[in-house]
Amino acid sequence: MPFRLVLRNLLAHPLRNFLTFGSVFVAILLLCMLRGASGALANTAAEGSNDRLWVQSAVSLYVDLPLSYRAKIDAVDGVELTSRFQWFGGVYQDESNFFAQFGIDSDAFLQSYPEIEIAEGDYAAFERSGRGCIIGADLASTYGWRVGDSVPIIGQIFNRTDGSPWEFTVEAIYSARTTRVDQQTLYFHYDYLKESLEQGAARGPSGAGVYLVKTEPGANPTRVMSEIDGMFENGPLRVQTTTDGEFARQFATMLGSVPTLLNLVGGAVLFAVFFAVLNTMLMAARERVRDIGIMKALGFTDVPILGTLLVESLLLCGTAGVLAVGFVYAGQSGIARAMAGFIPGFKVDPGIALTGLGIAVGVGLLSGLIPGWAVARLTPIKALRTEA
Amino acid sequence: MALVPLSYSLRSLVARRSATVLTVLVIGATVAVLAFMFMLQQGFATLFTEHGRDDVAVLLQPGSSSEGQSGFPLSRTEILIKGTPEFAEGADGQPLASAELFSAVRRFKLDGGETNVTLRGVQPKTFDIHGDGFELLEGRRFEPGADEIIVGQRLPNRIRDCRVDDVLTINTTPFRVVGVFACAGHHDSEVWADGDRLREALARPGYSRILAKLRPDADVAALAERLSGDQQVPAKAQTERAYLAAQTGALSVTLIGLGTFLAVLMGIAAVFTGVNAMLGSVTARTREIGILLSLGFRPWAVFLSFLMEAALLGVIGGLVGCAIVLPLNGVQTGTTNFQTFTEVAFAFRMTPTVLVTSVIFAVVLGLIGGAFPALRAARLRPTVALRRG
Repeated sequence: MPFRLVLRNLLAHPLRNFLTFGSVFVAILLLCMLRGASGALANTAAEGSNDRLWVQSAVSLYVDLPLSYRAKIDAVDGVELTSRFQWFGGVYQDESNFFAQFGIDSDAFLQSYPEIEIAEGDYAAFERSGRGCIIGADLASTYGWRVGDSVPIIGQIFNRTDGSPWEFTVEAIYSARTTRVDQQTLYFHYDYLKESLEQGAARGPSGAGVYLVKTEPGANPTRVMSEIDGMFENGPLRVQTTTDGEFARQFATMLGSVPTLLNLVGGAVLFAVFFAVLNTMLMAARERVRDIGIMKALGFTDVPILGTLLVESLLLCGTAGVLAVGFVYAGQSGIARAMAGFIPGFKVDPGIALTGLGIAVGVGLLSGLIPGWAVARLTPIKALRTEA
Repeated sequence: MALVPLSYSLRSLVARRSATVLTVLVIGATVAVLAFMFMLQQGFATLFTEHGRDDVAVLLQPGSSSEGQSGFPLSRTEILIKGTPEFAEGADGQPLASAELFSAVRRFKLDGGETNVTLRGVQPKTFDIHGDGFELLEGRRFEPGADEIIVGQRLPNRIRDCRVDDVLTINTTPFRVVGVFACAGHHDSEVWADGDRLREALARPGYSRILAKLRPDADVAALAERLSGDQQVPAKAQTERAYLAAQTGALSVTLIGLGTFLAVLMGIAAVFTGVNAMLGSVTARTREIGILLSLGFRPWAVFLSFLMEAALLGVIGGLVGCAIVLPLNGVQTGTTNFQTFTEVAFAFRMTPTVLVTSVIFAVVLGLIGGAFPALRAARLRPTVALRRG
């Protein structure tokens, strides 16, 4: 196989080959990202924490659970800690600055989330404070908030009666040890919200949206779940206790047909890149018909002739594929962080990397074979006579 | 000086068939992705906006941007309904205004999985406000005070227990389905029940919003101004059209953002292919270019001719892309409205905006891809060009 010829051919058209290389690179990059995103959606249920449970209304997202439920859930055998969790739904300045805020019980929250570590500030200071909050590291860097800053949040569900925004003081900044827990949330004391509502300083629904339950080590989560559900079977409000993974999956399935959509788009990308590379290789083959005539006249058989085109195409697509996969692989934690609020758990696993590489090689193979096969069948005389 | 005839560009596209077809397909696939996302966005947005009325007002709790966030205590809804002079009067002399409870129920989809279905508790006046916009397709309306519900026409085929005579249990109260209705687009994915019965079943103390027909001479801006400053019953008033337009914002931005991101990345690949195809075209036609130049065509005319060829590739690619996604027009799909976390059913829409945007995008791709090769062609020296090839 004349490898030097392959190299020379590739270098003879630097611009054209660079552009083809670029198309393959972009396409494989896109494909890996799409696969990663749809994979993350499919995997949400599998990767939750094993000792965290969520008690939510069995009826509706819009129904808050009575505050009296906390003590009852606490008393269930196998429950170590519970925390109220209330979706606050406020905005910073205006609706374009949206991030999640939750009212929580600080004594149970951190212990239930071993994935969270305090990066700055002091959790004990947050526990002592009345209007304190802890915020995710990404949130802190987006808005430049530091420990000690006051964060004004405009309520949309909970409004202060005097019309002013809520003020939370940043006591600590957390970071997450896994990309499945997002770093863009603000947690504050549920008690502060409760007191404001009770004193008439604010308006809004009373009650807790969900309860977070941490089970005791060795407790059987299935038994704990059915015991909690059974307790409220006849009202006043029925509950549904789910595992951490299932809870995340419920939110992921809200995206409905998004995974199918991502795969459809992936198909279109594949389609486009295949034709793009095929185009280049057809061009390369056409320009080289006379060269091939000379090779044939010199006595080269079909195999090395077809081989040169094939190797050329494989080299082009293969290197682009390797680079693209490497690029996504190296950047995956950054991508995962950016998507954590929307699709948690983005990951480029070996399967996705292999698929990306396989597609790159497959496209290279096909687009080398198709034109290669056509020129290999030419007779030397015909090839020599053809104008370039 | 004369331009190179357009037919020359057309003919060269035909002469280099395989390269033309491949480039068109690449551009087409790129445009198809853009158009696909755009059709989704248009379908979702028009579902909400096309039914919004200017003579109907929506009152929310101050600060709330959707009815899911809003809440009014019972006493306040009464004061607002009875004491707002801008509200029109019904045939019975009572204000045409209705307090509505917005909630959502977890329901299983027929094709598997759970979803949140909008549940709306309404007062009798809601039907009068919608007037002819509300149509009963099957069965009857619920009796006031009875544990009965009616469902929007999109639900029976999507959600379990939503056919007439099925029983749908809300919390611990069983409600019987007694009718199927059609109403103003987005309501077609909702379940309606008597407001008071629903509040009781869900243990909710108040309502979510007030819907009211406005008098023809009512000034909405003045009403909004007055109610936002009201000491006793503060509220945020807006027309239904303005309210619904705001509901689609977040998802529209997401869909357009995602579509643009994908289209730009794929567009890069498409431009690269376009450059390759046009470069090949220029190389193969070096001698022809030499002839054109020696015939007296100016370099800029040659440049324009090649650019025109690239633009033509773009137009054809754009049309092919739209043709690929055209069969989706009208296909029903569902997504979550992230303003309220509930599911709405809607159809893909191929609107003129989608078509025009897609084709313009394709032409831009063609022009970007064609600019450099066209420049290379125009810069050829006639003598060198004629000698080569």
